[in-house]
Amino acid sequence: MSEGDFREQPSGRTALPFLKSPLTRFVAAAVAWLPVTFGAWYLLAPILLWPVRLLVQLVARFGFGDLVRGIDPGGSTLSFITTLKPGEGVAAGVVSVDVNMLVYAFGMPFFAALTLAAREGRWWRTLALGYAVIVPFVAWGVLADFLKGIAIAAPPAIASQTNFTQWQRELIAFAYQFGSLILPAVVPAVLWVLLHRAFLERLRARGSG
Amino acid sequence: MLRFFILFVVLLAVLFGLELTPWAQDWFVVPWTTALAHLSTSIVTLFDGSVVSAGKIMRSTTNGFAVSIEAGCNGVEATLVLLAAMLAFPAPWKHKFLGLVIGIVAVQLLNILRVISLFYLGQWNYDVFEWAHLYVWQALIMLDVLVVWLIWVRRVPRIDDAGIPPGAPPALAAG
Repeated sequence: MSEGDFREQPSGRTALPFLKSPLTRFVAAAVAWLPVTFGAWYLLAPILLWPVRLLVQLVARFGFGDLVRGIDPGGSTLSFITTLKPGEGVAAGVVSVDVNMLVYAFGMPFFAALTLAAREGRWWRTLALGYAVIVPFVAWGVLADFLKGIAIAAPPAIASQTNFTQWQRELIAFAYQFGSLILPAVVPAVLWVLLHRAFLERLRARGSG
Repeated sequence: MLRFFILFVVLLAVLFGLELTPWAQDWFVVPWTTALAHLSTSIVTLFDGSVVSAGKIMRSTTNGFAVSIEAGCNGVEATLVLLAAMLAFPAPWKHKFLGLVIGIVAVQLLNILRVISLFYLGQWNYDVFEWAHLYVWQALIMLDVLVVWLIWVRRVPRIDDAGIPPGAPPALAAG
Protein backbone atom coordinates (compact mmCIF):
# COMPACT_ATOMS: atom_id res chain seq x y z
CA MET A 1 0.00 0.00 0.00
CA SER A 2 1.63 3.24 -1.05
CA GLU A 3 0.70 6.88 -1.19
CA GLY A 4 0.73 6.55 -4.98
CA ASP A 5 -2.38 4.42 -4.85
CA PHE A 6 -4.40 7.47 -3.96
CA ARG A 7 -2.39 10.05 -5.93
CA GLU A 8 -4.42 12.85 -7.41
CA GLN A 9 -4.73 13.21 -11.17
CA PRO A 10 -3.61 16.41 -12.95
CA SER A 11 -7.22 17.47 -13.29
CA GLY A 12 -7.49 17.50 -9.49
CA ARG A 13 -9.58 14.35 -9.45
CA THR A 14 -8.39 11.08 -7.96
CA ALA A 15 -8.21 7.97 -10.12
CA LEU A 16 -10.98 6.54 -7.93
CA PRO A 17 -13.23 9.47 -6.96
CA PHE A 18 -14.71 7.69 -3.92
CA LEU A 19 -11.20 7.49 -2.46
CA LYS A 20 -11.00 11.27 -2.22
CA SER A 21 -12.21 11.30 1.36
CA PRO A 22 -9.38 10.66 3.84
CA LEU A 23 -11.70 8.44 5.86
CA THR A 24 -12.54 6.31 2.82
CA ARG A 25 -8.84 6.09 2.00
CA PHE A 26 -8.14 4.98 5.56
CA VAL A 27 -10.85 2.30 5.50
CA ALA A 28 -9.74 1.01 2.08
CA ALA A 29 -6.14 0.87 3.27
CA ALA A 30 -7.12 -0.90 6.51
CA VAL A 31 -9.10 -3.53 4.61
CA ALA A 32 -6.17 -3.99 2.23
CA TRP A 33 -3.70 -4.36 5.08
CA LEU A 34 -5.80 -6.90 7.03
CA PRO A 35 -4.89 -9.97 4.92
CA VAL A 36 -1.21 -8.99 5.08
CA THR A 37 -1.15 -8.44 8.84
CA PHE A 38 -3.26 -11.54 9.55
CA GLY A 39 -0.92 -13.65 7.40
CA ALA A 40 2.18 -12.28 9.13
CA TRP A 41 0.54 -12.72 12.55
CA TYR A 42 -0.33 -16.35 11.87
CA LEU A 43 3.15 -17.16 10.57
CA LEU A 44 4.89 -15.35 13.41
CA ALA A 45 2.45 -16.51 16.11
CA PRO A 46 4.99 -18.65 18.02
CA ILE A 47 7.25 -15.58 18.36
CA LEU A 48 4.52 -12.99 18.90
CA LEU A 49 2.80 -15.09 21.54
CA TRP A 50 5.96 -16.01 23.40
CA PRO A 51 5.64 -13.04 25.84
CA VAL A 52 1.99 -14.01 26.39
CA ARG A 53 3.10 -17.50 27.36
CA LEU A 54 5.71 -16.11 29.76
CA LEU A 55 3.17 -13.79 31.36
CA VAL A 56 0.60 -16.56 31.68
CA GLN A 57 3.21 -18.88 33.24
CA LEU A 58 4.21 -16.14 35.68
CA VAL A 59 0.65 -15.41 36.77
CA ALA A 60 -0.23 -19.12 36.93
CA ARG A 61 2.80 -19.87 39.07
CA PHE A 62 2.27 -17.09 41.58
CA GLY A 63 -1.50 -16.72 41.41
CA PHE A 64 -2.72 -20.27 40.90
CA GLY A 65 0.27 -22.36 41.96
CA ASP A 66 -2.01 -24.72 43.85
CA LEU A 67 -4.04 -25.44 40.70
CA VAL A 68 -1.42 -25.45 37.94
CA ARG A 69 1.33 -28.05 37.93
CA GLY A 70 2.79 -26.90 34.63
CA ILE A 71 2.06 -25.35 31.26
CA ASP A 72 3.06 -27.13 28.05
CA PRO A 73 3.35 -24.94 24.97
CA GLY A 74 2.25 -26.47 21.69
CA GLY A 75 2.51 -23.86 18.96
CA SER A 76 -0.19 -21.32 19.63
CA THR A 77 -1.94 -23.58 22.16
CA LEU A 78 -1.15 -23.75 25.85
CA SER A 79 -1.88 -26.94 27.78
CA PHE A 80 -2.47 -26.26 31.46
CA ILE A 81 -1.57 -29.36 33.46
CA THR A 82 -3.54 -29.02 36.67
CA THR A 83 -3.29 -30.59 40.10
CA LEU A 84 -6.95 -31.62 39.85
CA LYS A 85 -7.98 -35.27 39.65
CA PRO A 86 -10.41 -36.48 36.99
CA GLY A 87 -12.81 -37.62 39.71
CA GLU A 88 -13.43 -40.05 42.53
CA GLY A 89 -12.56 -43.61 41.76
CA VAL A 90 -9.99 -42.58 39.19
CA ALA A 91 -6.66 -43.66 40.56
CA ALA A 92 -4.35 -42.00 38.08
CA GLY A 93 -4.26 -39.06 35.75
CA VAL A 94 -4.64 -35.32 36.04
CA VAL A 95 -6.91 -32.82 34.38
CA SER A 96 -5.42 -30.68 31.60
CA VAL A 97 -7.01 -27.74 29.83
CA ASP A 98 -5.98 -26.58 26.33
CA VAL A 99 -6.35 -22.91 25.41
CA ASN A 100 -5.83 -21.53 21.90
CA MET A 101 -4.04 -18.22 22.37
CA LEU A 102 -4.86 -17.03 18.84
CA VAL A 103 -8.52 -16.62 19.81
CA TYR A 104 -7.50 -13.81 22.15
CA ALA A 105 -4.71 -12.37 20.01
CA PHE A 106 -6.39 -11.34 16.74
CA GLY A 107 -6.25 -7.76 18.01
CA MET A 108 -2.54 -7.74 17.09
CA PRO A 109 -3.05 -7.92 13.30
CA PHE A 110 -6.13 -5.72 13.61
CA PHE A 111 -4.17 -3.00 15.39
CA ALA A 112 -1.31 -3.35 12.90
CA ALA A 113 -3.68 -2.93 9.93
CA LEU A 114 -5.24 0.20 11.47
CA THR A 115 -1.84 1.68 12.27
CA LEU A 116 -0.38 0.98 8.85
CA ALA A 117 -3.50 2.35 7.18
CA ALA A 118 -3.27 5.63 9.09
CA ARG A 119 0.28 6.16 7.74
CA GLU A 120 1.37 8.35 10.60
CA GLY A 121 5.02 9.01 11.38
CA ARG A 122 6.94 6.60 13.60
CA TRP A 123 4.43 3.88 12.86
CA TRP A 124 6.90 1.20 13.90
CA ARG A 125 7.02 2.72 17.39
CA THR A 126 3.24 2.74 17.50
CA LEU A 127 3.20 -0.91 16.43
CA ALA A 128 5.66 -1.83 19.16
CA LEU A 129 3.75 0.12 21.80
CA GLY A 130 0.44 -1.39 20.70
CA TYR A 131 1.88 -4.88 20.80
CA ALA A 132 3.22 -4.31 24.32
CA VAL A 133 -0.17 -3.09 25.52
CA ILE A 134 -2.15 -5.88 23.83
CA VAL A 135 -0.01 -8.73 25.26
CA PRO A 136 -1.38 -8.50 28.85
CA PHE A 137 -4.95 -8.49 27.56
CA VAL A 138 -4.26 -11.65 25.55
CA ALA A 139 -2.87 -13.19 28.75
CA TRP A 140 -6.08 -12.13 30.52
CA GLY A 141 -8.18 -13.99 27.94
CA VAL A 142 -6.03 -17.12 28.12
CA LEU A 143 -6.03 -17.26 31.92
CA ALA A 144 -9.76 -16.55 32.16
CA ASP A 145 -10.40 -19.31 29.60
CA PHE A 146 -8.36 -21.74 31.69
CA LEU A 147 -10.12 -20.76 34.91
CA LYS A 148 -13.52 -21.04 33.21
CA GLY A 149 -12.47 -24.50 32.04
CA ILE A 150 -11.78 -25.83 35.52
CA ALA A 151 -14.26 -23.83 37.62
CA ILE A 152 -17.35 -23.62 35.41
CA ALA A 153 -17.17 -25.87 32.34
CA ALA A 154 -15.67 -28.87 34.15
CA PRO A 155 -17.89 -31.59 35.65
CA PRO A 156 -18.85 -30.93 39.31
CA ALA A 157 -16.44 -33.61 40.53
CA ILE A 158 -13.55 -31.60 39.09
CA ALA A 159 -14.88 -28.08 39.63
CA SER A 160 -15.47 -28.78 43.33
CA GLN A 161 -11.74 -29.46 43.82
CA THR A 162 -10.90 -25.86 42.89
CA ASN A 163 -12.59 -24.62 46.09
CA PHE A 164 -13.72 -21.44 44.34
CA THR A 165 -16.60 -19.72 46.12
CA GLN A 166 -19.78 -18.78 44.26
CA TRP A 167 -18.79 -15.13 43.86
CA GLN A 168 -15.36 -16.18 42.62
CA ARG A 169 -17.05 -18.32 39.96
CA GLU A 170 -19.19 -15.33 39.00
CA LEU A 171 -16.06 -13.22 38.75
CA ILE A 172 -14.36 -15.85 36.59
CA ALA A 173 -17.42 -16.03 34.33
CA PHE A 174 -17.43 -12.25 33.90
CA ALA A 175 -13.65 -12.12 33.32
CA TYR A 176 -13.96 -14.86 30.70
CA GLN A 177 -16.89 -13.24 28.90
CA PHE A 178 -15.28 -9.79 29.00
CA GLY A 179 -11.91 -11.25 27.99
CA SER A 180 -13.31 -13.17 25.05
CA LEU A 181 -16.20 -11.04 23.74
CA ILE A 182 -15.03 -7.49 24.41
CA LEU A 183 -11.30 -7.09 25.05
CA PRO A 184 -9.73 -8.84 22.00
CA ALA A 185 -11.50 -6.53 19.53
CA VAL A 186 -12.02 -3.39 21.63
CA VAL A 187 -8.50 -3.00 23.06
CA PRO A 188 -6.80 -2.58 19.65
CA ALA A 189 -9.50 -0.18 18.44
CA VAL A 190 -9.35 1.99 21.58
CA LEU A 191 -5.57 1.86 21.58
CA TRP A 192 -5.49 2.96 17.98
CA VAL A 193 -7.77 5.91 18.76
CA LEU A 194 -5.62 6.95 21.72
CA LEU A 195 -2.40 6.70 19.70
CA HIS A 196 -3.76 8.51 16.63
CA ARG A 197 -5.28 11.62 18.12
CA ALA A 198 -3.56 13.90 15.60
CA PHE A 199 -4.91 11.77 12.74
CA LEU A 200 -8.40 11.94 14.23
CA GLU A 201 -8.15 15.70 14.69
CA ARG A 202 -7.22 16.13 11.03
CA LEU A 203 -10.06 13.82 10.05
CA ARG A 204 -12.47 15.84 12.17
CA ALA A 205 -11.22 19.17 10.87
CA ARG A 206 -11.84 18.05 7.29
CA GLY A 207 -15.21 16.58 8.18
CA SER A 208 -16.50 19.72 9.80
CA GLY A 209 -14.90 22.02 7.24
CA MET B 1 -9.80 12.48 25.51
CA LEU B 2 -9.08 11.15 29.02
CA ARG B 3 -12.66 11.90 30.12
CA PHE B 4 -13.96 10.13 27.01
CA PHE B 5 -11.73 7.12 27.58
CA ILE B 6 -12.68 6.67 31.25
CA LEU B 7 -16.37 7.17 30.55
CA PHE B 8 -16.21 4.74 27.64
CA VAL B 9 -14.58 2.01 29.73
CA VAL B 10 -17.03 2.46 32.61
CA LEU B 11 -20.07 2.51 30.31
CA LEU B 12 -18.87 -0.53 28.40
CA ALA B 13 -18.26 -2.53 31.57
CA VAL B 14 -21.69 -1.57 32.96
CA LEU B 15 -23.53 -2.26 29.70
CA PHE B 16 -21.76 -5.58 29.27
CA GLY B 17 -22.52 -6.53 32.87
CA LEU B 18 -26.18 -5.71 32.31
CA GLU B 19 -26.19 -7.78 29.12
CA LEU B 20 -25.06 -10.82 31.07
CA THR B 21 -27.92 -10.65 33.56
CA PRO B 22 -30.61 -13.32 33.16
CA TRP B 23 -33.22 -10.60 32.67
CA ALA B 24 -31.37 -9.05 29.72
CA GLN B 25 -30.65 -12.47 28.26
CA ASP B 26 -34.29 -13.57 28.46
CA TRP B 27 -35.89 -10.32 27.33
CA PHE B 28 -33.39 -8.96 24.88
CA VAL B 29 -30.41 -11.12 23.82
CA VAL B 30 -32.24 -14.39 23.13
CA PRO B 31 -35.18 -12.78 21.25
CA TRP B 32 -32.71 -10.60 19.33
CA THR B 33 -30.56 -13.59 18.36
CA THR B 34 -33.63 -15.57 17.32
CA ALA B 35 -34.79 -12.65 15.17
CA LEU B 36 -31.31 -12.40 13.65
CA ALA B 37 -31.35 -16.09 12.70
CA HIS B 38 -34.83 -15.71 11.24
CA LEU B 39 -33.91 -12.57 9.27
CA SER B 40 -30.68 -14.10 7.96
CA THR B 41 -32.60 -17.20 6.88
CA SER B 42 -35.26 -15.07 5.18
CA ILE B 43 -32.58 -13.30 3.17
CA VAL B 44 -30.85 -16.56 2.25
CA THR B 45 -34.09 -18.17 1.09
CA LEU B 46 -34.29 -15.52 -1.64
CA PHE B 47 -31.62 -17.53 -3.48
CA ASP B 48 -31.42 -20.80 -1.52
CA GLY B 49 -34.68 -22.43 -0.51
CA SER B 50 -33.03 -25.23 1.42
CA VAL B 51 -32.33 -23.21 4.57
CA VAL B 52 -34.50 -23.13 7.68
CA SER B 53 -34.16 -21.52 11.07
CA ALA B 54 -35.19 -22.77 14.50
CA GLY B 55 -34.48 -20.47 17.41
CA LYS B 56 -30.93 -19.20 17.04
CA ILE B 57 -29.98 -22.00 14.61
CA MET B 58 -29.71 -21.79 10.80
CA ARG B 59 -29.73 -25.16 9.10
CA SER B 60 -29.37 -26.48 5.58
CA THR B 61 -31.99 -29.12 4.77
CA THR B 62 -29.74 -30.35 1.94
CA ASN B 63 -26.68 -31.45 3.91
CA GLY B 64 -27.74 -30.91 7.53
CA PHE B 65 -25.04 -28.30 8.20
CA ALA B 66 -26.13 -25.85 10.86
CA VAL B 67 -24.77 -22.80 12.63
CA SER B 68 -25.87 -21.64 16.05
CA ILE B 69 -25.63 -17.88 16.57
CA GLU B 70 -23.95 -17.51 19.94
CA ALA B 71 -22.78 -14.58 22.05
CA GLY B 72 -20.20 -12.60 20.14
CA CYS B 73 -21.80 -13.42 16.79
CA ASN B 74 -25.17 -11.75 17.37
CA GLY B 75 -23.78 -8.23 17.10
CA VAL B 76 -24.94 -7.33 20.60
CA GLU B 77 -21.43 -6.73 21.95
CA ALA B 78 -20.47 -4.66 18.89
CA THR B 79 -23.60 -2.59 19.45
CA LEU B 80 -22.71 -2.08 23.11
CA VAL B 81 -19.24 -0.87 22.11
CA LEU B 82 -20.78 1.64 19.69
CA LEU B 83 -23.32 2.69 22.30
CA ALA B 84 -20.62 3.28 24.93
CA ALA B 85 -18.39 5.15 22.43
CA MET B 86 -21.16 7.50 21.30
CA LEU B 87 -22.53 8.10 24.79
CA ALA B 88 -19.05 8.81 26.15
CA PHE B 89 -18.10 11.26 23.41
CA PRO B 90 -19.11 14.89 24.05
CA ALA B 91 -21.88 15.64 21.55
CA PRO B 92 -25.45 16.96 21.57
CA TRP B 93 -28.02 14.31 22.53
CA LYS B 94 -29.85 14.70 19.24
CA HIS B 95 -26.65 13.74 17.39
CA LYS B 96 -26.06 10.85 19.75
CA PHE B 97 -29.53 9.48 19.18
CA LEU B 98 -29.34 9.84 15.40
CA GLY B 99 -25.82 8.38 15.33
CA LEU B 100 -26.89 5.40 17.41
CA VAL B 101 -29.90 4.61 15.22
CA ILE B 102 -27.91 4.76 11.97
CA GLY B 103 -24.83 3.16 13.54
CA ILE B 104 -26.70 0.20 15.00
CA VAL B 105 -28.34 -0.45 11.63
CA ALA B 106 -24.91 -0.32 9.94
CA VAL B 107 -23.37 -2.73 12.45
CA GLN B 108 -26.28 -5.15 12.28
CA LEU B 109 -26.34 -5.15 8.47
CA LEU B 110 -22.69 -6.19 8.38
CA ASN B 111 -23.40 -8.75 11.09
CA ILE B 112 -26.12 -10.34 8.95
CA LEU B 113 -23.51 -10.58 6.18
CA ARG B 114 -21.19 -12.25 8.70
CA VAL B 115 -23.80 -14.84 9.71
CA ILE B 116 -24.73 -15.66 6.12
CA SER B 117 -21.10 -15.82 4.93
CA LEU B 118 -20.15 -18.11 7.83
CA PHE B 119 -23.11 -20.35 7.09
CA TYR B 120 -21.81 -20.97 3.57
CA LEU B 121 -18.12 -20.97 4.46
CA GLY B 122 -18.81 -23.75 6.95
CA GLN B 123 -20.38 -25.87 4.26
CA TRP B 124 -17.46 -25.24 1.93
CA ASN B 125 -14.39 -25.58 4.15
CA TYR B 126 -14.36 -25.93 7.93
CA ASP B 127 -10.81 -24.54 8.35
CA VAL B 128 -11.72 -21.40 6.44
CA PHE B 129 -14.91 -21.17 8.49
CA GLU B 130 -12.92 -21.33 11.73
CA TRP B 131 -10.51 -18.65 10.55
CA ALA B 132 -13.28 -16.35 9.41
CA HIS B 133 -15.35 -17.02 12.51
CA LEU B 134 -12.68 -16.71 15.19
CA TYR B 135 -10.44 -14.02 13.75
CA VAL B 136 -11.33 -12.23 10.53
CA TRP B 137 -14.98 -11.37 11.07
CA GLN B 138 -14.28 -10.29 14.65
CA ALA B 139 -11.84 -7.71 13.32
CA LEU B 140 -14.14 -6.65 10.46
CA ILE B 141 -17.09 -6.05 12.77
CA MET B 142 -14.95 -3.94 15.09
CA LEU B 143 -13.58 -2.07 12.07
CA ASP B 144 -17.20 -1.39 11.13
CA VAL B 145 -17.90 -0.04 14.62
CA LEU B 146 -14.77 2.12 14.47
CA VAL B 147 -15.63 3.50 11.03
CA VAL B 148 -19.22 4.27 12.04
CA TRP B 149 -17.90 6.08 15.10
CA LEU B 150 -15.32 8.00 13.04
CA ILE B 151 -17.97 9.10 10.52
CA TRP B 152 -20.19 10.18 13.39
CA VAL B 153 -17.37 12.03 15.18
CA ARG B 154 -16.60 13.96 11.97
CA ARG B 155 -20.17 15.17 11.77
CA VAL B 156 -20.99 16.09 15.36
CA PRO B 157 -20.45 19.72 16.42
CA ARG B 158 -17.48 20.26 18.70
CA ILE B 159 -18.26 20.44 22.41
CA ASP B 160 -15.56 20.78 25.04
CA ASP B 161 -15.30 18.51 28.05
CA ALA B 162 -17.60 20.77 30.08
CA GLY B 163 -20.33 20.28 27.50
CA ILE B 164 -20.07 23.83 26.13
CA PRO B 165 -19.89 24.36 22.37
CA PRO B 166 -16.98 26.55 21.20
CA GLY B 167 -18.00 30.10 20.41
CA ALA B 168 -20.83 30.01 22.94
CA PRO B 169 -21.78 33.38 24.52
CA PRO B 170 -19.67 34.17 27.62
CA ALA B 171 -22.73 34.04 29.88
CA LEU B 172 -23.47 30.49 28.69
CA ALA B 173 -19.83 29.53 28.91
CA ALA B 174 -19.60 30.94 32.44
CA GLY B 175 -22.81 29.26 33.54
